[in-house]
Amino acid sequence: MKKLLALALVAIVSLLPILAMADGELVMGSWRTDDAEQVNALLAKYEELTGTKIRFEPTTSTQYNATLRLQLDNGTGPDLFYSRSYATGDELYLNGFNVVCNDIPGVMENFTDSVRGAWTAADGSVFAVPFAAVSQVIYYNKDIFAEQGIEKLPETWEEFIALCQQLKDAGITPLANGIHDNWDILECVLLGMLPNYFTYEDRVAYESGEKKLNDETWVKVYSDFAQLIPFFPEGFESIGNNDANTYFGLGQAAMLIDGSWSCGTLMKDYDVNMGFMAFPAPAGNKAGLCLHADMGIAGNAASAHPEEVKAFLAWLASPEGAQITADYLPGGFLPIINAPITLQDETINEMAALSEGKNTDVRFIWAKMMDLYTPMVENLNAICRGEQTPQGMADAINALWEEALAK
Amino acid sequence: MTAKTNKIRAFQGGASIKPGGVYWMRYVIPALAFYVVFMAYPMIDSVRLSLYSGTAGTREFVGLANYVRLFTDEVVSKRFWNAFGNNWVFFAWHMLLQNALGILFAAILTNRTMRGRQFYQTLIFIPCTIAVLVTGYLFKLMMNPVWAGTTLKAAGLGFLVRPWLGDRSTALTCVSLVSVWQWVGIPTMMFVAAFQGIDDDLIEAASIEGATPWQQFTLIRIPLIVPVIGMVAIMTFVSNFNAFDVVFSMETLDGAPDYTTDLIGTLFYRYGIAGQHPVGIPEPGVGAAISTSIFFMLLCGVIPVLRTTQGKE
Amino acid sequence: MAKERKLHSLRVMNMHIPYHIIMIIWSFISMFPVWILIINTFKIRKEIYTNPFGLPKVWTLQNYKSLLANANFFVYFRNSFLVVVVSLFMILFLGSLCAYALAHWRTRFSGGVYFFFVLGMMLPIKIATIRLLQIMKNLGLMNSLFSLYPVYIAMGLPTAVFILTEFIHGLPTELYEAGFMDGAGRFRIYYNIVLPLIRPALATVAIYNLVPIWNDLWFPLIFITKEDQKTVLLAVTMLQGQYSTDWPKLLTILAMSALPVITLYLLMSKQFVKGLTAGAVKG
Repeated sequence: MKKLLALALVAIVSLLPILAMADGELVMGSWRTDDAEQVNALLAKYEELTGTKIRFEPTTSTQYNATLRLQLDNGTGPDLFYSRSYATGDELYLNGFNVVCNDIPGVMENFTDSVRGAWTAADGSVFAVPFAAVSQVIYYNKDIFAEQGIEKLPETWEEFIALCQQLKDAGITPLANGIHDNWDILECVLLGMLPNYFTYEDRVAYESGEKKLNDETWVKVYSDFAQLIPFFPEGFESIGNNDANTYFGLGQAAMLIDGSWSCGTLMKDYDVNMGFMAFPAPAGNKAGLCLHADMGIAGNAASAHPEEVKAFLAWLASPEGAQITADYLPGGFLPIINAPITLQDETINEMAALSEGKNTDVRFIWAKMMDLYTPMVENLNAICRGEQTPQGMADAINALWEEALAK
Repeated sequence: MTAKTNKIRAFQGGASIKPGGVYWMRYVIPALAFYVVFMAYPMIDSVRLSLYSGTAGTREFVGLANYVRLFTDEVVSKRFWNAFGNNWVFFAWHMLLQNALGILFAAILTNRTMRGRQFYQTLIFIPCTIAVLVTGYLFKLMMNPVWAGTTLKAAGLGFLVRPWLGDRSTALTCVSLVSVWQWVGIPTMMFVAAFQGIDDDLIEAASIEGATPWQQFTLIRIPLIVPVIGMVAIMTFVSNFNAFDVVFSMETLDGAPDYTTDLIGTLFYRYGIAGQHPVGIPEPGVGAAISTSIFFMLLCGVIPVLRTTQGKE
Repeated sequence: MAKERKLHSLRVMNMHIPYHIIMIIWSFISMFPVWILIINTFKIRKEIYTNPFGLPKVWTLQNYKSLLANANFFVYFRNSFLVVVVSLFMILFLGSLCAYALAHWRTRFSGGVYFFFVLGMMLPIKIATIRLLQIMKNLGLMNSLFSLYPVYIAMGLPTAVFILTEFIHGLPTELYEAGFMDGAGRFRIYYNIVLPLIRPALATVAIYNLVPIWNDLWFPLIFITKEDQKTVLLAVTMLQGQYSTDWPKLLTILAMSALPVITLYLLMSKQFVKGLTAGAVKG
């Protein structure tokens, strides 16, 4: 037994050099575990073009922020990392973790102010190169719709609710969504609905306190949200985002409200005959779409390979790089560079077309109101459980925001 | 020659211990060093950290501010007392159900005339060897109404199809039961060992006196293993206030639904290590304050028990 | 009298039927989830929803194949294996040396050291996490298996010292006296006489630590984010994200991660039971 242990120890010591190897390549952190295949292909292409090898190391989305923070705090961060927009990404910049991108060629020229703004700190520093935008959509099962004789997609919120009722009456679960994971009910459902109710200008007015977060519009938003609840599956309280995807993908529910980013996995993993539509606006409102500047790529200021990092970021910010990137982008992510890009993929084109002729805006709370994230999630949960009213939620959120503004 | 006798005397615990004492230190120090540097010191120094705020770069002495925040801040204290209370419920399930089952199984498994004891024992113990994370994910699937709902309903077992892990009234119970299910083997085996240590003559004498098996059980065997029950209680207490994986795997880091399954372990991770989703700024000071509070609570429970059990020698 | 005894034992034997019923019910409850875990790894994705409890209608090894095709998978296993072996070796080595001394050197001071170790048995090391994180960072050990070894060693030592000291103390002193008479040094006695004698206790300590170290998630989750340093269990949480909608694949990973310990357990269940329950019951 002792000899065995001694042998094992020798084996280990001889293995140690292997553990220390594998340097000289760059590491890219990301929250997109689902996209490993596509991004690996993109990075392989980049290596072919430039000779720089970049390894993709994604972390589960819900743990990404914490993990990245921990890595950066401890000097073991990846050389390049996906950067969330606005406050979440900015927070890392304020701690000095990001390469400032202002003088990287292309960053100031090839993006619109509003897109770049999502990754610009208060001091004017750009802390990441904008990469892709996402939206929220309603996926629907074409076969179920055909069986039920539904030929026309709903054009207003009221028609959409009526459609849900029709499906429910036919014994079909209309929506696959649940609330167990907390984030999706806010990020995918509520924030996706908002641009149908007000525009960018209104958002600014809400942020400054000029408009109240418990005005009629908001009560209407929450009331409309509450209309969805009867159409969630039985036991929706314990259905997480993944379960909802599976439920829809296996044809157990007619529709799923989720991010455009799920499009790729839904198509790849299931043989569901699927289409998607934007959130229909309530009758009388002008339709809008939440087109959220979501994914930027930042350089780690402490990277051991600063030149390679800058070169990659410059490539991303160039029209050529963006075109190649767009060819590899997984379904549901829309390029946001201000240059003519041809999209090969039919689905991405269809997705991009959803915003035509609509007001678009980023997610309501992202720019300034991130403190409202957790209270909103908690209140939405309470509404779903029938323990909170739309008016009550509006008042509660408004009170919190007024308190925050007062500080 | 003298050196040799010295050695023997030292060995037998004789008077000339001093030269031996220095010698023995060499054997103790390596282990002691690891233990102190990587366990005892970090534990005690966490107390000091709880008096600071900010992360590595911007550490600042703030006195008791973290404790004030932990116990009086509207949101933080609500979460803390909620997790604290949940932890006691979690502990109560283990104490009452797991340990009762343990005694029951141990009583059965120490029946010398019963067949198949070894077989049962092996089966009961299997879950203890599996990672909590693995059983957690597994039960998350099994308790999901989406998974087997159709099959169960078709079999007339529709009442089993419920959002067990999503309903606030059942979530904590379910998490506790999964943990009880997994760990019941440990107290069982400890009680088996304790029952086996009871002198057979005692039981025999009682049975000759006409005591029923139930009387033998409640009046002789149980009282004799009270010290072991105390030991098991302490172990359960410590490991329950240490629990993290079971909630992490079944109910997310937030202790969904609506923090009803939030335990000290998940709360500590969220505040001290990871920071709250979505921004994720950790507050190590508050985390240290949480762990310090628990540290003293455990210490209060553990030291008296250790004193009494160690004192008997 | 003898007849009475026989009658009595017969009566007792009859009483065993309810006992068997209880044990069979609980055995079923214990094993049912394990059954679900195993059979569903052989199913295609759709079938785990349409046929959750039964044997697969279509058997597939695809889940295992795709898992084994992932080169990283072996890296995770190697890391977990390394962590367990190195930590256990150090725990046994340092722990037995220390116990050897504490069992023989009885003063107030050594008694204090002993109590200090035993106290550590009762307090979870997780409490020290935030400080440990800083220590590992300062030592530059973050993101490497070397951040895990010291923690696991420190965590395992209290129980090791406790069990081994008691065990050595219980050995008859005559066994050493010959050695002392021959003038053997203390280390020779430790190596030649004590170590062989305490093997059963070493096995107990090894098993007591093996399972928690293999199954630990907390420290890898906090210290390790680099792909080639991840342990199996940490990888499981990551793959849970990656295959989040592919339950058969995920179950396969879960099953594979549990396989080594369960196999060991079935091979030597007696030592396991003893090892895992040690530390609380004396001796």
